[in-house]
Amino acid sequence: MAAPLGSVREIEREVATLRLAPGEDVPYQRTSVMTHTAWVPPEWVEAAEDVLAGLAERHPSRTIVLVPEPDAEDGLEAEVNVDVFQAGEGRQICAETIHIHLKGKRASAPASVVQPLFLPDLPVFLRWRGVPSFGSDSFRSLVDVVDRLIVDSTEWPDLPDPYGSLADVFDHVVVSDIAWARTSRWRRELASLWPGIADVKTIRVTGTAAQAQLLAGWLRSRLGRDVELEHEHSDHLVGVEIDGNPAPFPPGDPPPASDLLSAELDRFERDRVYEEAVRSAAR
Amino acid sequence: MTTTPLEDNPLLEGLEIRRAADSCILVIFGASGDLTKRKLFPALYSLAYRGLLPEHFAVVGVSRSEETDDEFRERMKASVQEHSRDPFRDDVWEPLAEGMHYVAMDFADEEREDNLAATLTRLDQERQTGGNRVYYLATPPAVFETVVTAVGKRRAAEGWARLIIEKPFGHDLASAKELQKVLETYFAENEIFRIDHYLGKETVQNMMALRFANGIFEPIWNRQFVDHVQITVAETMGIEGRAEYYERAGAIRDIFQNHMLQLVAITAMEPPIDFTADSVRNEKVKVLRAMHTPGPKSVVRGQYGRGYIEGEEVPAYREESGVDPNSMTETYVAAKLYVDNWRWADTPFYVRTGKRLARRETTIAIQFKRAPHPPFEELSAERLKPNVLIVHVQPDEGVSLAIGVKVPGQGMTIRTVHMDFLYGGAFRTGLPEAYERLILDAMLGDATLFTRIDEVEEQWALVDAIVAAWARDRPAFPNYAAGTWGPSAADGLMERDGRAWRRR
Repeated sequence: MAAPLGSVREIEREVATLRLAPGEDVPYQRTSVMTHTAWVPPEWVEAAEDVLAGLAERHPSRTIVLVPEPDAEDGLEAEVNVDVFQAGEGRQICAETIHIHLKGKRASAPASVVQPLFLPDLPVFLRWRGVPSFGSDSFRSLVDVVDRLIVDSTEWPDLPDPYGSLADVFDHVVVSDIAWARTSRWRRELASLWPGIADVKTIRVTGTAAQAQLLAGWLRSRLGRDVELEHEHSDHLVGVEIDGNPAPFPPGDPPPASDLLSAELDRFERDRVYEEAVRSAAR
Repeated sequence: MTTTPLEDNPLLEGLEIRRAADSCILVIFGASGDLTKRKLFPALYSLAYRGLLPEHFAVVGVSRSEETDDEFRERMKASVQEHSRDPFRDDVWEPLAEGMHYVAMDFADEEREDNLAATLTRLDQERQTGGNRVYYLATPPAVFETVVTAVGKRRAAEGWARLIIEKPFGHDLASAKELQKVLETYFAENEIFRIDHYLGKETVQNMMALRFANGIFEPIWNRQFVDHVQITVAETMGIEGRAEYYERAGAIRDIFQNHMLQLVAITAMEPPIDFTADSVRNEKVKVLRAMHTPGPKSVVRGQYGRGYIEGEEVPAYREESGVDPNSMTETYVAAKLYVDNWRWADTPFYVRTGKRLARRETTIAIQFKRAPHPPFEELSAERLKPNVLIVHVQPDEGVSLAIGVKVPGQGMTIRTVHMDFLYGGAFRTGLPEAYERLILDAMLGDATLFTRIDEVEEQWALVDAIVAAWARDRPAFPNYAAGTWGPSAADGLMERDGRAWRRR
């Protein structure tokens, strides 16, 4: 196994080398649509790899996985992988994945490490696994250099409190929440109940805490008044009741996590409806 | 359950509202044909796979041969399994198959026609389709009029009706007008959807995105900056058992009259004010009207002789089964066309299409004028080629731009390189088949990607004039070998102007 790369320059050189197909002079074609940066604390590495594996083929991009290890001795340790996909007749394209372990103090200045590796002129997405360390140097420095922050508040404990901190960053960076995306099928069904749903008093959600809080926040913000939330825990959103009456079950299967992340990567604009739902959930 | 518009329903804000087709019955005439098997049912399955078909939906296949509903379902299931771009899933197929029926019908048999109408009325009740009909004419053109009359006379009292009609729309301008006369007896223009499946291709639609969603191209998309345009629709295959049709059509009616002229129109059109059906088609028809008839020296026709495709010897056109051994049908057409308007005056559009050519390729190449004064030494400046923007319609769907760059090292040597955007590279979701888009659009009543009668008539007027000139001579066919890029006269067409066809 090759020694880990210790500097950005070494990473860049390795990327260029790996783009050459074995025995060929011509590099694989790289048609990138974005730089996808993922902040993955060690406890999230395994889960993150599963999602990234499903994503790479759909969104050929440069993916930079940042693994913070603040308690380790200062330094960078990186490795580069190039995945090659068949595209069209006999043509191959590649997607690059760069894993960087940010050790010691390097973990608090991640922007200075990733910025030189961003693909020029393309959007940069930051997927933050777990609860973001709102207010930390690492969070602030990354949020300042990316176009969109993607979180999954299903991963967050103690909801709805963290939504207050999240709402504070809405004016700094565009935010997507995969937990919110998971509710879209249900929101469509609930919207179809209009105008009967206009007088709703209580929403009962059987699902994750994030889904329950976001659906209640959404109803409150859209209707402009309070709606009481009753929550029964489940790993998936399996049922919604409006004043005791079950809402219609959405057709089809819920999309997998990589599809939801993939869909969020296609969005660029602020989602005001989501932002208002989060603010209402946090109150 | 009722839905209300966004202005009344605050819960709809921010939700992605998918265009939903009304409940309807799709009636496919020509259900035993190749198009139904290879394209239509795989497209319907893909629409079902993505949940894009209406909740209340039925498909009725109509053809001459006797078949039960179950036999029809089994046959279509096999074709979906063979030709669909999506994996076969029973849970997708079963609901679609449940609404599938088959009616054997000899056209012009009044009793059978009544029987079909009764079946549709019964299905309206069973499937709650409200009398809405999409009639798809996937039959040989010879029976278009009979079918249209049969269904037109029996239009349901309730609901809407839309008629999808496959090419060719007529054989010349006169027959197109005759057919139109029959159609408009029973259907309004906004109920008629004339398919040119090229318009359903993502890359053809991307031509409009490329031009009208990017600020950098339109300012140079004109006679001042463009030297010429080359459009190639090249096929490696022969006539694939379609001798009866092809002998009458030839390349000029099979490809040039429809696909080729539509590609010219999309390339040359002015920006539409919006993307509605009439705005887009108004601009396309202006281009078609502005094209003047090319003189005999500006058109080359050819017919392939024996040759090699992928290392395998293939017969000459005249040796194909069902083809007249002395056939004068052209399998290749090249032409120099002009669009006489402010934007394109004196800018030639070189177009070529043919069968059994060297490579399968559909491209639109915009060749820009050379740099006026390259400040490099004469030797290295020779390598300075003009910039070319190439839209790859198929295969390798995408866009590439040829630019000159300096070769690393001493001196100033310039080499042309290609900057490629490959659709399959940037978007790995898989391109929808043209028929998926077109069938869904017809169900939605969106005719943007279908040809309007005035476009068809302009196309036929141009083709009729070319064909009339052909009647005056008899070229020595065959004049190109299969597996080559066509007759040498086609090269001469460009060489006379100091230009050359693109090769790869």
